[in-house]
Amino acid sequence: MFKFLAGRLAQMAILFVVFLSLVWLLLQAMPGDISDTLTANPAIPIEARAELRAQLGLDQPLFVQYFTYITNFFRGEMGASFSRYPQEVADILWTALPRTLVLFLSATLLAFWLGFKSGKMIAWGRGERSEQGLIVSGIFLQTVFYPWFAIVMLWFFGFALGWFPIGRFIDARLWQGSPYNANDVFGQMIVSVIVVTVLYVIGRFLIKRFSNNLLTQIRFGQGLAILAVGGLLLFWWLNPARDYVADIAHHTMLPVITLALVAFGAIMLLTRAAMLETLGEDYILTARAKGLPDWVIRDRHAARNAMLPVTTSLVLALAFVIGGGIVTETIFSWPGMGLIFLQAIAVSDLPLAIGALSITGVLALFGHLLADVLYAMLDPRIRIT
Amino acid sequence: MTTSLENLETRQIDPTKPLLEVDRLVMHYKIKAGEVSAIEDVSFTVHQGEAVGLVGESGCGKTSVALSLLRLLPSNAEYISGEIRFNGEDLLYLSPEEMRQHRWKDIAMVFQGAMNSWNPVYRVGDQIRETLDTHYRGAMSYDQQREHMERLFSSVGLTPEMLDRYPHEFSGGMRQRAVIAMALACSPELIIADEPTTALDVIVQDQILKELKRIQAELGMSIIYISHDIAVIAEVTDSLGVMYAGKLVEYGPTSTIFARPRHPYAYLLLRSTPSISGPRRELAPLEGEPPNLLSPPTGCRFHPRCPFATDKCVTDEPPLEEIGGGHRVACWHHEQVPELEEALHR
Amino acid sequence: MIPPPIAADDEHAPIGQTDPEGVSTRELTGGADLATVPMWRIRLRLLRRSLGMMWGLFRGNRMGMLGLGLIATFAAMAIAHPILMATVWEPRVYDPVHGYDAVITEYTVVEGEPSDPATEISLNQARLEMNPTIDVGETIFIPTQPAPPTLTGETPHFLGTDARGRDILSQLLFSTQAAFFLGAVAALTTVFIATTVGAIAAYFGGWIDGGLMRFADLILLMPLLPVLIVLSAVLDMSMLLLGLIIGVLSGFGGVAIVLKSQALSITVKSYIDAARVAGGGHWHVIFRHIIPNVLPLSFLFMMFGVTEAIAIESTLSFFGLLNVDMTWGIMINSAQNNGYLLSGTSYWWLLFPAGLAVTFICFGFFLVGRGMDEVVNPRLRSR
Repeated sequence: MFKFLAGRLAQMAILFVVFLSLVWLLLQAMPGDISDTLTANPAIPIEARAELRAQLGLDQPLFVQYFTYITNFFRGEMGASFSRYPQEVADILWTALPRTLVLFLSATLLAFWLGFKSGKMIAWGRGERSEQGLIVSGIFLQTVFYPWFAIVMLWFFGFALGWFPIGRFIDARLWQGSPYNANDVFGQMIVSVIVVTVLYVIGRFLIKRFSNNLLTQIRFGQGLAILAVGGLLLFWWLNPARDYVADIAHHTMLPVITLALVAFGAIMLLTRAAMLETLGEDYILTARAKGLPDWVIRDRHAARNAMLPVTTSLVLALAFVIGGGIVTETIFSWPGMGLIFLQAIAVSDLPLAIGALSITGVLALFGHLLADVLYAMLDPRIRIT
Repeated sequence: MTTSLENLETRQIDPTKPLLEVDRLVMHYKIKAGEVSAIEDVSFTVHQGEAVGLVGESGCGKTSVALSLLRLLPSNAEYISGEIRFNGEDLLYLSPEEMRQHRWKDIAMVFQGAMNSWNPVYRVGDQIRETLDTHYRGAMSYDQQREHMERLFSSVGLTPEMLDRYPHEFSGGMRQRAVIAMALACSPELIIADEPTTALDVIVQDQILKELKRIQAELGMSIIYISHDIAVIAEVTDSLGVMYAGKLVEYGPTSTIFARPRHPYAYLLLRSTPSISGPRRELAPLEGEPPNLLSPPTGCRFHPRCPFATDKCVTDEPPLEEIGGGHRVACWHHEQVPELEEALHR
Repeated sequence: MIPPPIAADDEHAPIGQTDPEGVSTRELTGGADLATVPMWRIRLRLLRRSLGMMWGLFRGNRMGMLGLGLIATFAAMAIAHPILMATVWEPRVYDPVHGYDAVITEYTVVEGEPSDPATEISLNQARLEMNPTIDVGETIFIPTQPAPPTLTGETPHFLGTDARGRDILSQLLFSTQAAFFLGAVAALTTVFIATTVGAIAAYFGGWIDGGLMRFADLILLMPLLPVLIVLSAVLDMSMLLLGLIIGVLSGFGGVAIVLKSQALSITVKSYIDAARVAGGGHWHVIFRHIIPNVLPLSFLFMMFGVTEAIAIESTLSFFGLLNVDMTWGIMINSAQNNGYLLSGTSYWWLLFPAGLAVTFICFGFFLVGRGMDEVVNPRLRSR
């Protein structure tokens, strides 16, 4: 298993360097260079331009520039942003990255959980009336024009119903004069969720160790989950920063739900197809012959195997989630990496734009790696040869 | 590989008592184009400790009969009439939950292409344990289950470590043995073996068959063998049924049927393979194809391919009649069949 | 699936051979002696027969037919526009980009707040907007844009006008052409590249396969939208260029991987060996045997490719990154630029027609793709 991981990591690293190089080539392909933008004023003498170029290292041979660029990236130096000068690109992205990650992960997990469950249920009860309706809604969600859909969601739930705030990350008035920094609070929220999740995983592991009965395992697992969520909520309820936390959470919900809804459609349809395929396998007939209860056959045999092709497709879905994330952030004015990226492009802030693009590449890469690892965990035929 | 089964449940058997009675079973598949008459008026009895065989071409209904015993047919299969009595209880009238309880514990099955009976993502041992958890809920502790499974494995010639492996780590023959072990897990009274040796090489085939026979004898189990391979059937069964186009055309003790097949189809089937050690005789080929069960032939379903067919065969269906010693035939001209034998010998 | 062609490389078909699905040679030759019928004619008949079969299967698929209906509707819309512009619609008013028509609404000036805002206007506002000398009781005419739909009058606007006085319906119909064009260019390019790459990788195997698949991994790694955003900032993006770029980027990516495994399953079939033994060269085998059998699946991906391309283009237009005159995305973009994005139902004609258009054309192509999936993949068929 570890050999497998190491191999994949090495592959990914190489792919990423190639990706970075392509990005750099793109940068070079653009007409003119940075010094042109900074010295656009014709009153600046030509010598100053030459000196500026030397300062920025633009008079070096291309190969050296390339090398510097790559090594800088891995050192975490991506230059200074033009539009938000003198903020460094790395700092800007460092603040924005967690937000985008929260958006992605929450939306993906929500979509997967709901989509897999419903796809599984639909495939199991094949041939009923409700199936057609759900399939059509699934297709609708998958093909709806996402920017338009997001706008409608925002208008309907934010403006018309007033259930959610109309975009943005926080309600600035609430935070005026507060002793807390929004980024810090957000960071704390993330940390708390991570801690609880880790504890939960450890708990599940221990349960498996100490009980051999499948049913007790499931019962305790469910109990543990409730305990985890309850504990988390209780912790924040008792925390003095409670209102601020609620504010951030409230602002996060609608973007996450919107992104999740669209991914949900795709996952549901995919799961249904995979389940139908799996249900035709011999071992399902054997499971029925063994007199196993319906839910065991559906969940532990069929769905478990259906997860494999769905995981593979998750990789392809990544591209959508990233693109969808950009649109979501734009429409909800949610200050994540996507929005920053778009704003940077709009004002030709190249370092920031390229930096954001590279980080996006890293994200995609890790997503691929995660999907591969997940697949290997799920399919023993890959792990054990 | 002589391993003892003494710790697995053996039961006292009374060979005269019927375990399973299939009584005039009629089943049709409902498809878009119409109804497929898959099982027409099939009746036979399996006694305690008996090994019964069902032979026939692909599509003759033998697998449908087997699956009916466990009520595993798809939802478009409709039972028009007839009964399947297991220890007196009609299985067709049970609720899904009641049927579920009978499965594996009373009747277990070894499937065609048993190699694919395994779920690739779970260990073999866990998949056997499932049956124990389901049917002996709470009665066996984890360790007792492990012990039981290890005994099962050694009884089919597999090492206990293999219980912790995944199916893809087994060879074909090993997977077959493991499937048999799993079938025995809940000590069923009846095992159905559907083409237990297809896709195995002859040496392994032989081993598996001998294994099954031994297990059956030691544990006092009944077995139904389903096969299109008559050689396999001949070796291990006490009684034999020949099916054609959804109907049971001949039934009786295996030795009788082999020596004196009285239905033209059974005759041609048995005489279509050359015998190494028997007398030289001309091969009698079986021409034509099995009929379309969506609109089966009138009268006797075999008449389009039968050398003895007369007008009566086209209009009237012959009933399955006893002709002596437990031997039943469904043919208007069964007395003429020995003539074929003489004709071929000449 | 299209059944494999009868002969390997001969000029004439071998005698007495029937195809797997039961066509007799007699049917294919129309009774004539087999040796005299040229290969191309037999192939054509085979092709027509399999297409007919697939169409028959497709027709029974409700979703696929619904999708086809939707596409046909949009096709009609695309054709309708030039016809309407040439006949009934006056270009000065109805041109989607440059037209202008202000719906003049009559208001009566009242004291204080108007009780009916649709027909009355307050004094202050009237003085502010039109004429400082106007007085209560008089009527003033104010051009409204964007104007709500009007069905009657000299220049009816069935879907209203936008913030610059242009007819929405005209914009909607005009953009359909662009959508089809882009979808076609992108999808055809994708499928052309992916099929060829897949077939070559499957056929040659070895390091060619490895290299192509690694490259496909790299492409998969790059999320399409951000890359296109950067490219549209750098290049002057026209519809054709956008379609080609989308096509190339998608073609080398995930679709190639899927088509390669499909081609692989064909490569191992015995008639490929037969073709090689009979003397067919590499390219002959690839283009005459492998590719035709991958085509149904390719066609399937073409449908999804159109969906993706139109969605991406609309998103890029929505961000204002494309250099095109009028597409659905631009319609929404202009609604946003003029501040009507969150107006919801009050100015629904600015947002809903365009958004629904993109949605339904993608919906239609997707349904056709799914319908085809059931034709190509027999396991999904209902019994």
